[in-house]
Amino acid sequence: MQQSQSSKTPKRPLQLRDANQTDLSAWRKKGRTEPEKSVQDHQSPNDQKNDNEEDSLKQAFRYFEEVQDRVSLKNSILQEHLTTVESVALQRGLPPEGFNVLLNVALSGKFADTVNTRILKSLVPASVIPEDSVVSSVSWLCVGKCSGNVQLLFLKWLITVFDFIDQKEQLNALYGFFFSFLQDEKMCPFVCHLLYLLTRKENVKPFRVRRLLDLQAKMGTQSYLQALLSVYKLFCPELVTITLPRKMKAYFRDPEGPWKAAINTVRQRNQGNTQVSRSLFLGTAQPQSQKRKWNTQISIPASSTNKNNLEEDREKECVDLYSTNESFPVEQLQTFSQLVQNIHCLEFPSQMGSVLTNPLLLHYMNCFRDESVDLRLYYWMNQTLQQECTWCVADNSQYEEEFKNFLETLYETECFLQEGFSSCEEFLYKSLPLWDGFCCRSQILRFVSWIPLRSSSEIKSHLYGPLAQLFFTSSVYFKCSVIESLKELLQNWLNCQVTHLDSESDSEGHSSNTTLSGLVNMVAELINFVGRISTVALRLESSHTLLLHFILDFYETVCDMYLRYDLPLLIMPPPGVFYAALLSMDSVNLNQLCYIMYRYRTNLVTAKENELSKKKILQFKFSNQTYQEYNKYLTAMVGCLWTSNAFQKDIHPQGISMDDELLRKTTVPDFKTSFNIVCHPALMTYAFFYLQQAFPDDTTVDFSLIKGKEWNRYLEYLYLQGLNGLKVFIESSVNRISQASHSKSENV
Amino acid sequence: MAVLRPFNKLPELNSAVLLLVGSEGDFPQKLAETILQEKRDFTVNIHIATSLPLPSERDHLRPRIDMIVFMIDIKNKHSLKNVEDSLAHVDARFFLGKVCFLVTGVGRVNCCSVDMNAVWKLGENYCSPVLFCELELEGTRVSTAQRLLRMLQICAGYVPGVSALYFNTLMTSFS
Repeated sequence: MQQSQSSKTPKRPLQLRDANQTDLSAWRKKGRTEPEKSVQDHQSPNDQKNDNEEDSLKQAFRYFEEVQDRVSLKNSILQEHLTTVESVALQRGLPPEGFNVLLNVALSGKFADTVNTRILKSLVPASVIPEDSVVSSVSWLCVGKCSGNVQLLFLKWLITVFDFIDQKEQLNALYGFFFSFLQDEKMCPFVCHLLYLLTRKENVKPFRVRRLLDLQAKMGTQSYLQALLSVYKLFCPELVTITLPRKMKAYFRDPEGPWKAAINTVRQRNQGNTQVSRSLFLGTAQPQSQKRKWNTQISIPASSTNKNNLEEDREKECVDLYSTNESFPVEQLQTFSQLVQNIHCLEFPSQMGSVLTNPLLLHYMNCFRDESVDLRLYYWMNQTLQQECTWCVADNSQYEEEFKNFLETLYETECFLQEGFSSCEEFLYKSLPLWDGFCCRSQILRFVSWIPLRSSSEIKSHLYGPLAQLFFTSSVYFKCSVIESLKELLQNWLNCQVTHLDSESDSEGHSSNTTLSGLVNMVAELINFVGRISTVALRLESSHTLLLHFILDFYETVCDMYLRYDLPLLIMPPPGVFYAALLSMDSVNLNQLCYIMYRYRTNLVTAKENELSKKKILQFKFSNQTYQEYNKYLTAMVGCLWTSNAFQKDIHPQGISMDDELLRKTTVPDFKTSFNIVCHPALMTYAFFYLQQAFPDDTTVDFSLIKGKEWNRYLEYLYLQGLNGLKVFIESSVNRISQASHSKSENV
Repeated sequence: MAVLRPFNKLPELNSAVLLLVGSEGDFPQKLAETILQEKRDFTVNIHIATSLPLPSERDHLRPRIDMIVFMIDIKNKHSLKNVEDSLAHVDARFFLGKVCFLVTGVGRVNCCSVDMNAVWKLGENYCSPVLFCELELEGTRVSTAQRLLRMLQICAGYVPGVSALYFNTLMTSFS
């Protein structure tokens, strides 16, 4: 508290008027497009208006500062100043130095309640709120000169603008005062909310815990009391022994009030007008985060430590950073080398949310996995996601863009940390049933890809259920995105499993679900889920090519799980997917299927070899069913692409085998050759162009010309067209020595 | 007190009929308008009723109804009761995939005055999917309209190989 004034200095703004004037003009500049130009075009009407506004605002402040006695409500001067303050506040927000004056007036009870309420309601910050103004207003609160309603309004205001207060050291020193307000039944929920925001570890004392427990006994289990208790428990688990529900719907009601909307307007306005404003106005905001998201409505707070002695620190910085025991202020953390040098004395910012935009702090967080850190972030995120969600709270709908950006930031952080946040997961579970599948679509679906691996039972009812409902009733593009994000989810799980296997030695604290069998079950469940919805989706969308592409993309990951991720699990695609791809009209799908079947083969052969050689003691081995399934598919494929006997040889129960008798009845000529590498509908165009190239004189397109040597040349032609999947499949699965090829399936 | 039956009339060529049952101000009307604005390749006919039974005197003029959507406003306690009463006038065969519950007003969970468990239970008891939406929001209304239209298309039999019953089973079996 080196540089702070005594907390109760009503005269301060008067003494510092000079300094204030510069401040004010700086604040005025902010509202302009180009601050530098202000000197030149001083005469423009816009400027004139700003000047006038500034003057009248200054006058208003002076008036409120000097007013001594109770003034009648009808006093025109009072009314005029009030209106000035209100209009400026709503348009541009109030400069930092205004708060002291206005708070003092509003809480001292000089005016009638209506005036006080109006003043409080217009306290919209343009940039920051000085801490001492808040401190002095708290002292007014303790004197008890203002009515209950004004007190309540003040608390609501404090909660709403909490993140705008520049420092919180002194405010935290008043923790006891706030705590004493708990006994007021009306104020209790808001005081709890405020304490929740304010609490630090050193604030948690046995007598406070006792008091809270008493209150709970008296008032019954209230969510706000439980929230506060849970924070206490978080800091000092030994003091709070009662069990609290880990997951709550909503701890606190939104404090409401007019400020939130006004703050947004002011922010949007300022954002539109200047690029530089934020970092200028928040002296302590770290420059890294200024690039993005600072100006959004959902503010991710700038990181600041609880230190007042920044200036001093800065001087000391180069002298003896190593020897000092004090923590390194995060504001000064700008380079990676700084992080490495100071990693022993870093302290997380008081507002955990700020780490999201600070990659260095994320690095730091990654190194020091601490439950309290996770939980602090969890609480903040939970609250924010819930309050700002645009489809759960209809009033937020105009802020969709901001919410989108916020979700985007969270997703990027998840990617950075390579793990999902449990608050995002819970948010997903809670909001998916209410989601329309439209608003913030890509952001929400991306969240799906970071669902942590541990939650097995929840994922079934909370994710698969609502997602399937949305999936079936939505457009084909939505279906594609869902499959895509489920593919990413699978990949993230597999990656997580690989890293987990690597670090098996330090596997403390992993729940039973991350054991290999638990993992295999969850992965299998996911793959089967995708198999089921894919089958249905292909039916609903009549085998849409794009959709099929996304589904096969998913199976490209599935078919390689054994070799690439060392997971003893292989699941074949369901017939609904396999046959849709095999008989598709598009060569891209067919080519992809060929590649997938080739990878399945490689994986299965390796597994078989490992099993036979018994090099490893295998915990799991693939069931014969998998091999049989693969062989059935392979037979069908070879029959369909190579030997032209798809209808005869297919032995899959859901396959396309048909009686010759029946086929004859269709009166299709040459039904026998209608499926091979030449006549397959996906490849026929290739055959056509090949014929044109090989027999330029022959105008009657005769596919039967492609046989024998021509067949081989045609094959080369296909490979040259980029059908690499087909190439690897045919080279691996078709025995080319005898011309009448047959499938070389594994010995089961 | 006529019971609404799904199969006692012949379907019309290339058209589907949707019945919206709901008493929440002009929301059914708005939703119907949004549905009609959507692109589709069959004629859509929408009937709106505040409650069932439908008046019997004009019954012979009414086309066959392919799907019924019961709208429940969570801000209005009465709306759930209204729907529950109306359900008595629906033939059991409608519940083989041709009924859907649309819960509206989820954007204002704070003003919720309907027991959500009761809503879930309703869907379970009548083997019908429960969709949630906020009709106040333009975007959500459009996407809800699209979803309902897709379901209507299936209920009217315009998606080859997918019957209403099959689709209904899918919608309810994953949760």
